[in-house]
Amino acid sequence: MSNREKNFVSGVIYVHNAENRIEKFLKSIIGVLESNFEHSEIICVDDFSDDGSVDKIKKISLEVTTTCVSIVNMSYFHGVELAMNAGVDMAIGDFVFEFDNTNLDFDKSVIMEIYRRSLEGYDIVSASPRKSTKLTSKLFYGVFTKFTSQSYKMGTESFRVLSRRVINRINSMNRTVPYRKAIYANCGLNTDNIVYTSVGGRGDGPADKKERFYRTNLAVDALILFTEAGYSFSMTMTVLMMLMSVFMISYSLIMYFIAHPVEGWTTTILFFSVAFFGLFGILTIIVKYLQLLINLIFKRKYYSFKSIEKLTK
Amino acid sequence: MKKMEKFDKIIIGAGLYGLYAALYCCQRGERVLVLECDPAPFRRATYINQARVHQGYHYPRSISTAMKSAGYFERFNKDYAFCINKEFEQVYATSSRYSWSDGKQFKEFCKAADIPCEELCPESYFKSDMCDGVFLTREYTYDAMILKDYLFEKLAVYSLNFVLKCDASIQAINKLQDEYEVIIAGGGYKTEFLINATYAGTNQILDLVGYEKFKIKYELCEIILCNVNEKLKNFGFTVMDGPFFSIMPFGKTGYHSLTSVTFTPHTTSYDELPTFGCQEKSDGYCNTSHLGNCNDCPVRPATAFPYMASLARKYIRDEYRFEYRNSLYSMKPILMSSELDDSRPTVVRTYSRNPTFIGVLSGKINTVYDLDEVLRDE
Repeated sequence: MSNREKNFVSGVIYVHNAENRIEKFLKSIIGVLESNFEHSEIICVDDFSDDGSVDKIKKISLEVTTTCVSIVNMSYFHGVELAMNAGVDMAIGDFVFEFDNTNLDFDKSVIMEIYRRSLEGYDIVSASPRKSTKLTSKLFYGVFTKFTSQSYKMGTESFRVLSRRVINRINSMNRTVPYRKAIYANCGLNTDNIVYTSVGGRGDGPADKKERFYRTNLAVDALILFTEAGYSFSMTMTVLMMLMSVFMISYSLIMYFIAHPVEGWTTTILFFSVAFFGLFGILTIIVKYLQLLINLIFKRKYYSFKSIEKLTK
Repeated sequence: MKKMEKFDKIIIGAGLYGLYAALYCCQRGERVLVLECDPAPFRRATYINQARVHQGYHYPRSISTAMKSAGYFERFNKDYAFCINKEFEQVYATSSRYSWSDGKQFKEFCKAADIPCEELCPESYFKSDMCDGVFLTREYTYDAMILKDYLFEKLAVYSLNFVLKCDASIQAINKLQDEYEVIIAGGGYKTEFLINATYAGTNQILDLVGYEKFKIKYELCEIILCNVNEKLKNFGFTVMDGPFFSIMPFGKTGYHSLTSVTFTPHTTSYDELPTFGCQEKSDGYCNTSHLGNCNDCPVRPATAFPYMASLARKYIRDEYRFEYRNSLYSMKPILMSSELDDSRPTVVRTYSRNPTFIGVLSGKINTVYDLDEVLRDE
């Protein structure tokens, strides 16, 4: 085919115990990249799979013609965020596709659709399934969007394309952020989202226990790190409790003068109220400090990789 | 059957090691025959490589290789000054990610190996945050063609004692009572001292005699020659120790060579004798018992320039520009024992004495002096 794109593209695929899905998925990606681009590469990030995923990848890589398949083997389970960082760091393309999972629930044409969209001047274009998948995801993104001040509308994304420009930009930003989508949201470049209709049945593949646990943790971390949710909640609570203490102080004083309560009641209540007032005051300051610290330094995280295998040219 | 001609020494392979040995022996008054399977000398590994005169920077995880290279560096540059290009700044860098060594380790390594290295500002040469250490080093490049002419000129003096036979495909090597017999198409020669100075073909020669072969893997490699802009002209960039690349002057040709760790090797063979899928398609030009010259091969692979170029452009700043000119292909044997520390030892082996059979396998030009010792040996 003569009208293939001249741009060099990379496809980074997250693989974790996906032996049932990887073959079909990888073949489709190879097909799309080879028929649309003159030069491309595919990087499979194997996040410590203990099934036959790697063998499957090796088998498929023998069939490629123009593209080039590599595997990055992670040393231990890292989770999708760090593992994908490892893959994207390795990629050399002008444009990089990130496939966060190996569920082929989209039509192949969507890949080219988001690529063409990005050529129109969007540094990040993501693809999301039309039906919002799970209630928990919905809840997460609902809270996330509500409590952050950014224009990038986050939602469940299956894959996305990044320009080299945005990758460079992110490299010079905070590398320690453990949640990619949050950095993408904050990169300040043009972004867009394309919604596709899911095909091929249920999108969510069977995530294993490790992955589910990781995702839940990630969701909690992300909410705490990137949104004001935790902070707002604790601030509201402490202020509320302080107000209650003030109310208790006034109440006990009033009661002292008009109702003549039992000896000692007023002093006890006064003491408790003042003590709680002070305690919540201190808590307010501590919460504020913690929030500041989180803003200054995110948890530092590195990935470590075991080996890089180049399978085909 | 006519009587076979006898030589004091027969050397197989007319690369640098072969011709160096020939000159060394001629100067001692010996009669030498060099057998080369290509139509001319210096057409494979000696010519087709990065043309680096190593001073050890390349081996930050193998101090022994580094120190040996450094030791021979001065000597080689003095002896062969006419073919050395020193007129550029050789910049070494360690990638921020995926490198097996970081900037600090590289600096300490240079100190330990006692080779000069001066820290530079990464942002002057590389894109933001790509490299964590950038160093100005002292490393040169040699011009294989000038070196060849020089050796020829020197050898011309010994025209009575020096015979070069090109297009000589060796069919058999027989060990007799006290001499070796080398049979080529249309003739044969005898000697008491046989030297195997081939590179990728080394196991194929050993196979003919039946000696123990090297544990090597074979890589079909591509070196790309590039035209570069003024800005890049006087620089050589090497991002090292990991899946990276190098773009540096190629001798005195005016071109830069572009290579990368992942894309320069096109295909790999782990067999004892080089076995590649392309051999079947080469119409008998190349097979497992006799390697053709990949650079002249009708079925040589398509260039990996787009890959190497993307990799290089990911790192170096946009003002350093380069364009594709042509590709050179060659077969590279890599000792399996050196995979881990990435060392490139020069191996000189003595397989037999009286008659003597010596084999040399080296991936570096300036360790050629290692031969002196065995050549002196009577």
